Amino acid sequence: MHYETHSTEETMQIGADLAADLKGGEVIELFGDLGSGKTTLVRGFARALGYKGPVRSPTFTIMNIYPVAHKTIKEIIHLDLYRLGKESEMTALGLEEWLDRKDAVVLIEWPDLAGAFLRAADIRVTMEFINATERKIDIT
Amino acid sequence: MRILAIETSCDETAIAVLRGEGEDILVEKNLVASQIDIHAKYGGVVPEVAAREHTQAIMPLLLESGIAADGSSIDVVAVTQGPGLVPALRIGVELGKTLAWSWEKPLVGVNHLEGHVYSVWLGNQGTPKFPALVLLVSGGHTELILMKGHGDYELIGMTRDDAAGEAFDKVAKLLDLGYPGGPAISKMAESGNASAIPFPRPMLESGDFDFSFSGLKTAVRVYLQEHPEANRADVAASFQHAVVDTLVTKTVRAAEKYGAASVILSGGVSANTLLRETLRGALDQIDLELHVPEMKFTTDNAAMIGAAGYFRARQNDFIDPLHTEADPNMRLA
Repeated sequence: MHYETHSTEETMQIGADLAADLKGGEVIELFGDLGSGKTTLVRGFARALGYKGPVRSPTFTIMNIYPVAHKTIKEIIHLDLYRLGKESEMTALGLEEWLDRKDAVVLIEWPDLAGAFLRAADIRVTMEFINATERKIDIT
Repeated sequence: MRILAIETSCDETAIAVLRGEGEDILVEKNLVASQIDIHAKYGGVVPEVAAREHTQAIMPLLLESGIAADGSSIDVVAVTQGPGLVPALRIGVELGKTLAWSWEKPLVGVNHLEGHVYSVWLGNQGTPKFPALVLLVSGGHTELILMKGHGDYELIGMTRDDAAGEAFDKVAKLLDLGYPGGPAISKMAESGNASAIPFPRPMLESGDFDFSFSGLKTAVRVYLQEHPEANRADVAASFQHAVVDTLVTKTVRAAEKYGAASVILSGGVSANTLLRETLRGALDQIDLELHVPEMKFTTDNAAMIGAAGYFRARQNDFIDPLHTEADPNMRLA
């Protein structure tokens, strides 16, 4: 699916729509340059599943966990591999522990590094920066 | 009271030994894995950029601290319990639990942010007066906290998206500068004109004390896209000015609104000279004293965890080593 959004709110809505059909256990990869709206989309996603707390960039923390009250999804795992230099660091951090859970949805920013590490993602979101407010979003 | 402190919440593996007496804290050892040549001394591999492999670094650091293996010289064990990255936090928390249990010493769980607050208690610069307003700025955090007394906090504002330090790093990336971005941008800004580009001061008129730096990062990106020939030093200087202006304006407003008796600036970004000087200048005008940590205590370290742990231990605020876990979303208040 191809979308064009014209505001933060519209980008969040794409995230919310993405959350609607999930059951838990899914892995979603988010591709896109700096400022393309990845964290904004995750914020919309988390809000749709009822999480009210702050959804902030996990670039420094590497992983944020948002607990949600949903029938089959207990947690949203928001990963950001931007700062990881090599695949072995994912192993060192023990991140695989969070990737195969049936009661969690994992969203990964800067997933390029995870390639060989991850099983195939269920959903790939590619975001493109057009100008200050517009973004192109492809979901496959 | 002698404290062994352990910090592994993010990149750094760190261990410190401190002695606390009254309001004074003496740092006896302050060991940070990335700053010590563990490889030469103990073998094994320590990653170059950031010590993420806490499991490999932590035992050598404990040995390096020189404390007796039976714990006889230690009265209290303090460990960072959260917030942070679970696999990283867990290494320190499990070590702290094990030592406290086997030595039969009390254990204190310290919030990493509280550690940054207490970084200004390290060194001889006088004790902040309460209530103190804290601006905590780092790669992962941008928070305004009202500290009413030891261990008594109210969170009054925070970033809604990116931390200030993260904005520095990402703008440095947009400008093809190195990592870490803070020092790189400050250096480039020295030769630039800080008023050249009117970047936005996000959330300045939001009516609350929250911050947002994601939009500023995007504004820099848009500017570079529209002005490919832009003077990069001007971009760096104008960006830094926008961040500092936003942080200082909101901090001063919060200090006035909450009747702060002093202000504390801490976290990695507190090393930024422009931020220190601008905030000090603004606070001088309203006659408030500013406390900033010594440079070596601005980034993650265990001494600050020990300082926070000392004041918690004085209030007998201990946790049970058998029922303690890392808490990635630990809150201050």
